[in-house]
Amino acid sequence: MIHAVLIFNTSGVARLTKFYTPLHQSSQTLIPKIFSLICSRPASLCNFLDAPELEAFLGPKGEEDERWRVVYRSYATLYFVFVVDGAESELGILDLIQVFVESLDRAFENVCELDLVFQFDEVHHILAEIIQGGLVLETNVEEIDNSVQLSAKLRKESFASANPLSLGIGVGGAGSRGGNLKSPLGWLTGKITGGRAM
Amino acid sequence: MWERTLQDLIRGLRANKKDESKFIAKAVDEIRKEIKSEDMELKAGAILKLTYLDMLGYDMSWASFHVVEVMSSPRFHLKSVGYLAAVQSFDQETDVLMLTTNLLKKDLTSTPADIAVTLNWTCSYFMIKYPDVLPQGITRLKEKLDDPDPGVVGSTVNVLCELARRNPEEYLTLAPQLFHLLTTSTNNWMLIKIIKLFGSLSPYEPRLVRKLQPPITELISTTPAISLLYECVHTCIIGGMLQGSSGDSLAKMCVSKLAAFIQDADQNLKYIALLALVKIVPSHPHLVAEYQDTILASVNDQDISIRMRALDLVSPSSLQSIVQQVLSHLVPDTSSSTLPTAAQSLAQHAIPSSPTTAKPHISPSQSPAYRLVLSQRILTICSQSMYENVTNFEWYLSVLVDLAHVANVDIGSQIRDQLVDVVGRVKGVRRYAVKLMYTLFCSEVLWAAAWICGEYCSELSEPQKLLPYLLQPQIATLLPEIIAVYIQSTAKIFGHWAAEVAQRWDDDDLPEVKSMVDLILDRVRDFVGNSNVEVQERAANTLQLFTFIQADLNAYRPKPADNPFVEAACTYFEPLHGAYELNPVALAAQASVPIPDGLDLDAWIVAPPPDLLAEADAEARARKVKKGKGKEVNGSKVKSGKKKHKEEGNGNAVVLTPPGDDVETPDQALEREQRLAERRERQRDDPLQPRSAFEHDIDSIPVVRLDDMPSLAATTNTPTRMLSSFPQYEVDDEVRTSTPEPIQVTRTKKKTPGKKKRTQNSNNLPEASNP
Repeated sequence: MIHAVLIFNTSGVARLTKFYTPLHQSSQTLIPKIFSLICSRPASLCNFLDAPELEAFLGPKGEEDERWRVVYRSYATLYFVFVVDGAESELGILDLIQVFVESLDRAFENVCELDLVFQFDEVHHILAEIIQGGLVLETNVEEIDNSVQLSAKLRKESFASANPLSLGIGVGGAGSRGGNLKSPLGWLTGKITGGRAM
Repeated sequence: MWERTLQDLIRGLRANKKDESKFIAKAVDEIRKEIKSEDMELKAGAILKLTYLDMLGYDMSWASFHVVEVMSSPRFHLKSVGYLAAVQSFDQETDVLMLTTNLLKKDLTSTPADIAVTLNWTCSYFMIKYPDVLPQGITRLKEKLDDPDPGVVGSTVNVLCELARRNPEEYLTLAPQLFHLLTTSTNNWMLIKIIKLFGSLSPYEPRLVRKLQPPITELISTTPAISLLYECVHTCIIGGMLQGSSGDSLAKMCVSKLAAFIQDADQNLKYIALLALVKIVPSHPHLVAEYQDTILASVNDQDISIRMRALDLVSPSSLQSIVQQVLSHLVPDTSSSTLPTAAQSLAQHAIPSSPTTAKPHISPSQSPAYRLVLSQRILTICSQSMYENVTNFEWYLSVLVDLAHVANVDIGSQIRDQLVDVVGRVKGVRRYAVKLMYTLFCSEVLWAAAWICGEYCSELSEPQKLLPYLLQPQIATLLPEIIAVYIQSTAKIFGHWAAEVAQRWDDDDLPEVKSMVDLILDRVRDFVGNSNVEVQERAANTLQLFTFIQADLNAYRPKPADNPFVEAACTYFEPLHGAYELNPVALAAQASVPIPDGLDLDAWIVAPPPDLLAEADAEARARKVKKGKGKEVNGSKVKSGKKKHKEEGNGNAVVLTPPGDDVETPDQALEREQRLAERRERQRDDPLQPRSAFEHDIDSIPVVRLDDMPSLAATTNTPTRMLSSFPQYEVDDEVRTSTPEPIQVTRTKKKTPGKKKRTQNSNNLPEASNP
């Protein structure tokens, strides 16, 4: 399965971090480590990072087949890094990174680093259409794009219905906060105080 | 008031790069206020900002309850923020997990189709976590494999692949359906997954292998997708499809495909090909051997990933050149200035075999971890199956020494072990080894250096010149175990040298010997108070022995023909260390020594006191086995029976059983004589038997007759060491901080029957130490 998807730029600043399994070490030490190993590799080298230093970070995986591998690809100023185990095909993951980037490109129209910076939630939603729980859902860019657009539309509609006067979309957008929504926690507090059954 | 949105926060962060922490502290303060707001939009905005900060490494676990609040919003755009925050920040310790599961349950029952994805994920995730629900799960998955939606089938295959890796047997029933998919599907990603799935299934079902061979062979030869081709080859290898006659041609095809990959310009293909070749080596080494040259070239690749995999593959047939190559990777570029010895020896060895590799590439990361792996790899390649591949041990020793110099990582102890091992096994190399060690004296290999020099000092022409090195004042800073070896080696070397000197005694030698003895005494005295017991004891021993020698030397008057003292003094040591040569023993040698009849290795010869029994079990066992060899004679079975009886009787440990208890009948005596003769015969040729075993008649050594004390002479000869409470000695009870004084041994006359006295003693000892 896929254990993590990371995006960081050429100066090592994280743009997206997504972990599908709990880490053995804090992500704040893992990312700089992977970055330092990757950034020293010229583009002519292979896209698989096989460094002994990583063993400690990726957990004690005894058997050869259980070892975690780091597959990465660099696009302009960004590194796309996938941490996977033996169940994934190395070359397949390289293709998957391509699919992911193409999907981003479709969603943002000529994606650049700034898109990822300012719409990090959207990037997460796109990733969620491709990978769920470390397993690949869809590899067809068309299908991915359709689902991404569908869920974006749903969010937009939902926002518009809550904020009839707003022009923009998105949570906490600069528009007015007309919908004075109360937290619908009634059923929850009921649970906590042990009141009614659900 | 206008609250900051996520975009504002990010802009702010970018504008305040210099003072980021301050800016974030302020932002988090705002978030804390906003998050408590009644306004759900505001709350969600705060959560989103927090999620972003979480990615940058700021804690958001404190907000988990608010995350659940946002998740519970009926608005889809808010709910999705909540879900995002939850998957990013929740872990197993999060306290609101129960709330979250309840919420999930609620969402899933009422839900819009959009969150169905979550359902899919949760489902597979839970099945991986909790295998007990599998029986129901498998049928569901089986249905899903026939789903008309290719997306569903693909996800199901993914889930299956994950599950089958854990216990493949359970999924064999799905094979026909999967096989159908394999032959009909055109989706490469799914095909890869199915192929992988078969890779884990086929080792459990031999028929599957036969069935799979045709379609996989077909795929290998036709598919244009390299990733799929590679996975097919990989599955053939790990799925055991290369066995048997039909497998051979498939194996050839696989290896030739992989070899083409290695030669490909694409580094990725090179890497994965090496990865797959590693797995094929155990079954088809000859096929891989054909490509040895290509693999060797990869060892020098500029890519560290490729190097590491190529190292796994190198066959030991061309050991020397490989090791030199790897070693050259370890040599730092500036080695000539800092490490002259290493550079010299390297130049001597590395250049003739592989002149091209001496040029450093774009320095492959000189990270310690990589260096450690390289160093370990050298050691394992060389020492594989008892140094089978090493043809020139002098070369190997120089490699080890070079490695000690250049490795610069924590591998000293392994090098040390190998040095001692090689020198112990290979006689021919000892002279060279001693010379080499003479120049070495650095770091952890010191242990080996000192030991080798001491043990084989006869190979040196002027061993005494080594003594000042061993006695440098700086050695006090070394590890205790190294100091101990140093002291021991000093004694060995002195003994050997002094014996040599004594043979061609000339009065002019006296000052040299004297000064050497003075030097040794002077230095060793420093270690008598050492906190390490091993060092302390060796130092104390050495000190006492050398004090004798010093006394003798001082008493010497240079009259011709009157030097027995000196000769004696100088030859004291030689037999202590040189009497027996240390030989390697074959791995199975112990097994070929038959266990003598009537020897019960598990029976106590002397039962230890109960409290010792627990803590020193393992140790006692080892010791007992040794002693058991010499002492089986008196019918240990009878004794042990008695002992058991006694132990039950008085509860306390019986330290010794007086032999007077069992009176020997004439028959037993005869039997004993016979067995003794037999054993002597056997032991004469047995190199494992300690010398004392055939010099003394063990049976004549009284096992301490305390009632009528044995003569002094008889007992002082016994080398047998009893357990901790050896009765003849009574050592002063005063607490010593160090052991400078020679131990005072006083033999006490015991008025009370010995046995009782002893048991009292052993009982009293622990009590005495208690307050």
